Amino acid sequence: MDHGQLDKMAEIAASPRDYAVAFKARTGRKVIASYPMHLPAEIVHAAGALPVVLQESTEEISVGHGLIYPFYCGFSRSTIDQAARGELDFADGVVFGDTCVQILGSADVVRVTHPEKPVYFFQLLACMRDSWTAENVEETIGKLRRGVERMLDTTITDQALWDSIELFNENRRMIRRIYEIRRRNPEVIDATRLQDVVKSSMVMDKAEHNALLSGVLEQLAEKSGGPGFRTRVFVSGHMCHAPKPEILDMIEEVGAVIVDDDLYTGLRYVSTDIPENDADPIRAIAASYVTRNANIPDPTKIDPDVDWDGYLLNAVEASRAEGLIILMPKYCEPHMYYYPEIKEAFEREDIPHLLIETDHEQLPIESMRTRLETFVEMLRQRELA
Amino acid sequence: MLAELAPPPTTSNRLKTTAMNNRMVTAYWDDLFAAKDNGKLVCWYEGVAINPLLQAMDISWCHGEAWSALLAAKKEEQPALLASEERGYGRELCSYARTHLGTGILRERGQIPGSPDHEHIAGRAPAPDLIISAYPYCSTGQQWDEMLFRLFGKRVPVFNITLPYIWGNGSSHAYMQGEEFEDAVKFLTRQLRECVTFIEGVTGRKFDWDRLSEIMSYTKKAGELRLEAMRMCKARPAPATFFEWSISIAPVNFLSAGPEIVEYFEKLNAEIAGRVASGTGSVPREKYRLFWDGIMNWGKLGWMAEKFSGYDACMVAGRYTHMGFWQEPQVIDVDDPLEGMARNYLTCPINHSAPYMIDRITELCEFYEIDGLVMHGARTCRAFSNPQFLIAQEVSKRLGVKIAMIEGDMIDPSFYKDELVNSRVEAMLEAIDARRGLI
Amino acid sequence: MTLYAMGVDFGSMTAKAVIVDAERDVVAAEVVDKGVLIEEGAEIAMAQALASAGLRQDDIAATISTGYGRRKLDVAQRTITEITCHARGAHHLFPEARMVIDIGGQDSKVIVVDEAGHVQQFAMNDRCAAGTGQFMQVLARALDVELDEVGPLSLEGDDAIVISAMCTTFAETEVISLRAQGHSKPDILAAVMESITKRTMGLIARVGKRSPIAMTGGVARNIGVVRALERRLGEPLLIAQTPQIAGALGAALFALDDARRGIRLPPLEPSFRGEADRLVEPGGKGGCSRISTPV
Repeated sequence: MDHGQLDKMAEIAASPRDYAVAFKARTGRKVIASYPMHLPAEIVHAAGALPVVLQESTEEISVGHGLIYPFYCGFSRSTIDQAARGELDFADGVVFGDTCVQILGSADVVRVTHPEKPVYFFQLLACMRDSWTAENVEETIGKLRRGVERMLDTTITDQALWDSIELFNENRRMIRRIYEIRRRNPEVIDATRLQDVVKSSMVMDKAEHNALLSGVLEQLAEKSGGPGFRTRVFVSGHMCHAPKPEILDMIEEVGAVIVDDDLYTGLRYVSTDIPENDADPIRAIAASYVTRNANIPDPTKIDPDVDWDGYLLNAVEASRAEGLIILMPKYCEPHMYYYPEIKEAFEREDIPHLLIETDHEQLPIESMRTRLETFVEMLRQRELA
Repeated sequence: MLAELAPPPTTSNRLKTTAMNNRMVTAYWDDLFAAKDNGKLVCWYEGVAINPLLQAMDISWCHGEAWSALLAAKKEEQPALLASEERGYGRELCSYARTHLGTGILRERGQIPGSPDHEHIAGRAPAPDLIISAYPYCSTGQQWDEMLFRLFGKRVPVFNITLPYIWGNGSSHAYMQGEEFEDAVKFLTRQLRECVTFIEGVTGRKFDWDRLSEIMSYTKKAGELRLEAMRMCKARPAPATFFEWSISIAPVNFLSAGPEIVEYFEKLNAEIAGRVASGTGSVPREKYRLFWDGIMNWGKLGWMAEKFSGYDACMVAGRYTHMGFWQEPQVIDVDDPLEGMARNYLTCPINHSAPYMIDRITELCEFYEIDGLVMHGARTCRAFSNPQFLIAQEVSKRLGVKIAMIEGDMIDPSFYKDELVNSRVEAMLEAIDARRGLI
Repeated sequence: MTLYAMGVDFGSMTAKAVIVDAERDVVAAEVVDKGVLIEEGAEIAMAQALASAGLRQDDIAATISTGYGRRKLDVAQRTITEITCHARGAHHLFPEARMVIDIGGQDSKVIVVDEAGHVQQFAMNDRCAAGTGQFMQVLARALDVELDEVGPLSLEGDDAIVISAMCTTFAETEVISLRAQGHSKPDILAAVMESITKRTMGLIARVGKRSPIAMTGGVARNIGVVRALERRLGEPLLIAQTPQIAGALGAALFALDDARRGIRLPPLEPSFRGEADRLVEPGGKGGCSRISTPV
């Protein structure tokens, strides 16, 4: 398989800043950085700017620890550190809408360290079932549009919005197609490569990314998979930033193969399209925000009718995974809250799961390898029994 | 952490009126423990003080933070913490939530600790008949209610109120002013009205607006008196400390509002005025005036008071006590209180972004003539610790105050390191001396 | 000619080698005090085991290595994690055990096993090494006692002091601080044993307590830890004469299974050996086929 497109995606995923800087130089357009998870980047795109989702960097955190305590998730510490080191210079503004308290704290720090940069917050309601939810979410998205217009000193037409929505929907559809192929035949693409596909989509101009995706899909369609001896596992967690590639590689090295995931830099990012049959693009975007949680539950959202544990049980079954590997970033409170529900659900259904705590700092590689190997040994044993 | 050391000897000159507070608090908890026997409905809530709405309808309440603080103060938090650890809640999760969830687990799974003759206090909180979520700023707080709801099998009626975070998008933003703030007030007030409807649904009775007005008139008066009393601590030596103000949060947070809470603050004012007149300080030798930033370490309250008194340092004020808990009573219209309540909820000390908080803390430090800031970095409370580095840097830049950063936690003692506290506080006091040219 | 199989366990503080015969009887068991980064330890252990059994390496039908240095052994046909091996070994020693507590040189593990000795669930200490062999060494040094005195001395103390968390890195300073306050060595040790027990109970809580419980690993020889745990658990622990060999024993039993099944894999490739903690290169799939054989 010609890895040209995937290599390009990997390169960009490894250094989003380089891409953004080159983009600005090339096009003369602006770049708006955003915090995860739910901010509709279509609005930024429709305004003519490049939306870039902030990523955890591989740099060790140094000056950032003078602005925030160490007992914060790696993503928040890394973005603060990047800001402190001037790495967010490519961004003409920062936008965020999610309400995880650590993201709020991070953005507050970023704004103080960059008083010259507009840092906008549009509070996306966490509670999905209140009688005012739909109305409030629509209002918020409307404010977001006006805020972005002001930030970029431009006007966003409905038509421009629809064009962006169509483009982003196409991007999501193609990535979901890759996921479908992988579910059936996990040997056709490595987990880290698939991560690069999504990570690069979070950074690149969507039209450019769509072109690369077409090439990838063409080649995947031709590829036949391996013999399928490896133990199938589902990977869950990391709702704001990518797990370190070394972890995913290790999972696949000890004899397992990742058949599906609900990672942010994975299926979460592409699970939900914006309906194109509404008259009002703002209403359509608002609707997709609510639907997205039902498609892949996010523990910071309050919805009594949506259960992340139930979703995982179904997803594990649908992907014919034999076990669940949970990657939980240390200090991720939303995940820590929900974990016992998942643990109990999986114990009840007698599906093995393994909890691995991740962090920004260097992994204790051997310790992680031992746990993963033991997990695979356990799953193999069950298979034989 | 290290072994439990013997507590420092008592040196501080504690207020006498606080004994009345302790009696009221004990009576409140006894009342709550007997709620089911008295046929009352029980509401579990955390975050902002929505209890006036409950009191108006004769519903008993268990405020999650107050409950957890009670357990920590009595050194009885372990059974609840263990229960939640066993279920799988990580230790780095908000210890308030872990304690409250642990209590729920003990109750829901029939594992009330203690012997047959002595029911451990951790198991005494009655199970909720309703849950109201109204958490400012902190998503962890909102999720806390959601997970309680799930723990109780989704059987308990729950109502969710979203408190908009005052970020300050536009240049028109100022404290309690501007479009963003007014929109937030309108949105929150509307939700409070919906909450009233919810309460009517659960109780099957029409809401008693007159009763709410009565309650809020006591609360408003108590709030005003408390602020007045706190302001008198501008005096040198300061007649009371932040630690006592922490204890005195109860009457403006979770106690029932009535003539008693007003009487309490009247007595407190009188005692403080008396001390100001006679020049009596809370700390026998007040050499340093300090400000406590961050949440309180409930298991170490008395300990901390003695420690600082021993250092000849008076903790005069703090963000937690002075910027929250009915801190803007003047905006409450007792005849139609919902909007005034909303304004208070929105301005609690974690619901504003850093720039506002820094301004407000600077004002307080100037008013109380503060020499140093003690930043209590509560390990599991990121809501409070989020802006602490920013506050420390900016306030010390503006005023020249010295900083000590200490680690701890509101509930979980395993995050507290006494040796480190001592060395950092001592270093700060030395820096203050140096600034005064005394070294 | 009878069948023999060998298991080699590379620990962080000791290397262990066990040889079993076709009846699953242990014919040799050696514990050697050398760390994992020095291959000599394992080689000495194997050599001593072979010598004491009167065998040569050629007599061994199959060898499996386990422990942190497991990938470094070139005579092993394959590797299995120490968790799976300790479960198997403990089950062999105590077939009725449904939970295994293994506290070794730098790891604490709690393993739930079924009636066949298979791992059902497990929990490991995350980063903290408190309670492990290395911790005990630091503790002994700080208190100026012999390592094997630590346990018995702790039994003489009362647990009046409460230590809520102790860190291996800071253990020495903390102990000095406690001594400076006038606390006796037995009292300090008693308190440390209590705090280790709490940590272990935390691990047990993660998987849910089962009974009966076996204890393996070097720290099972520390009577102080054992008594403190038994008190907390409310039941006696099943402990073998030489509890450190459980991992190597389990590995030997797995090797015997391989030999029985006539599985003959070539020895580990040189590229597979390397520093125990080298980073995996993205895209590298070196060891995949090694583990594809069913356990």
